[in-house]
Amino acid sequence: MTAVSSVLFSGIDLPATDRSPAVRFDPAAGALALSGESYPEDAAAFFGPILHGLRAFLQMEGPSVTVDIALIYFNSSSAKALMNIFQMLEEAAANGRSVTVNWHFAPDDETMEEFGEDFASDLDAIDFVMCADEEPSG
Amino acid sequence: MLARELFEFRSQIQAHKLMLVYSGIMSEGILFSLGEALRRKLEQDDTDRNLTKRVFSVFVEQVQNIIRYSGDAEGSAGTAAGDAGAGAGALRSGIVTVGKDGGRFFVICANMIDSAKAPRLRSRLEELAALSPEELKVLYRRKLKEEPEAESQGATLGLIEIARRASSPIEFDFFEVDAQTTFYGIRVFI
Repeated sequence: MTAVSSVLFSGIDLPATDRSPAVRFDPAAGALALSGESYPEDAAAFFGPILHGLRAFLQMEGPSVTVDIALIYFNSSSAKALMNIFQMLEEAAANGRSVTVNWHFAPDDETMEEFGEDFASDLDAIDFVMCADEEPSG
Repeated sequence: MLARELFEFRSQIQAHKLMLVYSGIMSEGILFSLGEALRRKLEQDDTDRNLTKRVFSVFVEQVQNIIRYSGDAEGSAGTAAGDAGAGAGALRSGIVTVGKDGGRFFVICANMIDSAKAPRLRSRLEELAALSPEELKVLYRRKLKEEPEAESQGATLGLIEIARRASSPIEFDFFEVDAQTTFYGIRVFI
């Protein structure tokens, strides 16, 4: 539990690596952002702390939630982890929490656009926004 | 003689239209390095960005399947692939190659698997090969939400991802080496 409480207290601020995304989780602001590449050596280990922190955060009364996903590429293990994040948010949204997910992709990136549609297809309570951005960094 | 033999070996690789060939131990580090080399090569050749992404994605999913499920674990006497923690500790090995023929990229992977696991893998692949792009999309979305099956580590989603990126049905074959081990290969055109 100490790990979770420290995440709640200070959030998460991880720089991107060649194969894992930058992660910013700011509980006070109700903001989570992922950007970059995501095919970590061990997706479960990488996403575990994010899922735990988010779960603890959602269990408490708090601010509305804004999630920004701006990934260039992710593998199937990461897709699974992202879906776990979205399912958790969907449940919170269904229980009255205001949740916005901004899905960022380059306008010509068919793959990322379709992935956004895949995720959004089953999320009703979340406000899932498709954002065709100009060139994201990277 | 040596140089000539090697030149012939290289010519064979080129005759098969292969741009990248690797055989040996598979690890996450090796996956990353080969993936970087592949991306750089495709970039150098001015490959369409979306196509590059699809090729890279198929490459990653195929190699990660070898890392997780190959039954060719060196130094782990008879450990069945897919045990809890597969890929951690046990050295997996296999072959991966990427080529371009007639304007189409292909990714080929081959590795030993436990014969007992072959029928299930074959039926999964047959199921995927029979699906239309629309059906694959529906299946992908369903699997995305499901709890992963025991000992699967998400391979099913990986295989569906591969099938979705393929421009024609995935090809696969099995060769029974002996009662315990089967050599398995998959070829995917993108």
